[in-house]
Amino acid sequence: MTRTRFLAGLTALLTVLLLQATLIAPLALSVPASLPAVLVAAVALVDGPGTGVSLGFATGLLADLGSSHPAGVLALCWMAVGLGCGALAGRAALPRDVVVCAAAAACSSVASLLLLSAVHAVGGSAGGTVRDLLPAFLADLVLALVAVPVVRWFLRNPSLRLERTRLPVLRGHSR
Amino acid sequence: MRRLSRRQKFAAAILAVLAAAFLTLDVGGSGLSSAHGGVRGALGALYRGTDSVVGPARRFLQALPHAAGDQNRIRQLQHDNAVLRGSLRAEALDRATAARVAQLRLTARRLGASVVPARVIALGPGGGFDWTVTIAAGRADGVRADATVTDGSGLVGRVLHADRSTSTVLLAADPGSGVGARDARNGQVGVVTGRGTDGFAFVPLDPQASIRTGDLLLTGPSRASSFVDNLAIGTVTAVRTSGGTVRANVTPAVSPTSLDLVGVFRAPAPAQALGGR
Repeated sequence: MTRTRFLAGLTALLTVLLLQATLIAPLALSVPASLPAVLVAAVALVDGPGTGVSLGFATGLLADLGSSHPAGVLALCWMAVGLGCGALAGRAALPRDVVVCAAAAACSSVASLLLLSAVHAVGGSAGGTVRDLLPAFLADLVLALVAVPVVRWFLRNPSLRLERTRLPVLRGHSR
Repeated sequence: MRRLSRRQKFAAAILAVLAAAFLTLDVGGSGLSSAHGGVRGALGALYRGTDSVVGPARRFLQALPHAAGDQNRIRQLQHDNAVLRGSLRAEALDRATAARVAQLRLTARRLGASVVPARVIALGPGGGFDWTVTIAAGRADGVRADATVTDGSGLVGRVLHADRSTSTVLLAADPGSGVGARDARNGQVGVVTGRGTDGFAFVPLDPQASIRTGDLLLTGPSRASSFVDNLAIGTVTAVRTSGGTVRANVTPAVSPTSLDLVGVFRAPAPAQALGGR
């Protein structure tokens, strides 16, 4: 990992956490929309599961420690988002990535709420939490419509592009 | 589908175990409270800084759905405000009225009589006089013709005639009105006649009487006037002597053009008018 990628990741992580706390959460009211989960999914869809898992863990752990619920809940959920979306990484069209992003973020929000209610006895009933899935998906879809193109544009920048080891091409000699 | 490399799988497993360990530790209630506090403190400062930037935009967006409702609410509050302001004004008027009524009763008690409070409801010529007012009290309230009218601080006039619920009062300021008066300083008696907005003129019965500027004139003398005794008429402001007759200008104790609440004496003194038509 280059220093530029690390700093860009740290900046993105802090920016989405701050925007989530000061803008998205107050505006979304009771809908569990999550900009950090959308970011993790969007990055994983471009860079693959390795980056997705590490970004998901770092963002989730920071969000966990900055909140009042037990640490590790969001780290686990957003790691799963990074892993799942990273597995789907490729040269897919933008609309598919937006939908996948929103779906993954909504599933992670509901999963984190379920996990929280299981380990910490907070939140509503499991049925009520699952009913939040559709509103969360729609809210995350709006966020993904903005976040996915931005993430794709940034990660196509040569200084931020993931360096992959290229295997030498062996050419056979025909006789 | 892209898969994790062997090294990445190992790293992901380590991270998952780490997250689970954090979760177990934190649910158990040990160890991570200081980490929580530190991160919350650092993020809290960043939240405050960010909120100062994005806060106005957020508040604008939050207010958009309520914009129409807010307009209705503003209109409702403006209406409520106007009603409350009206109530406050009415309350202030009520307090002023109560004070005037108390003053009327005090004056009546001082003079050993009782008064019927009444509002002035019309001002203008009537009954052949230029300066009359109509008050909202009549025979049904105990008002009788010739009864003295005061505003609590001085003489207003006398009742010309009383209907069932209203009465016409001849103001002392009318040029046709004459009031028996007494100088409070030396007891000299005379007649006060109205001069409209110019106040009164006082002519003592004794041409040699000593009348000075600043003398207070009262109704009276007792039993020699149709008016209740000892009501203030006004203050002498100028004295002229011509042809052996003393004549004084008097500023009235009660302005005839600013009457609102007056009191009519129920038991007028025995009629023995010195003046009046």
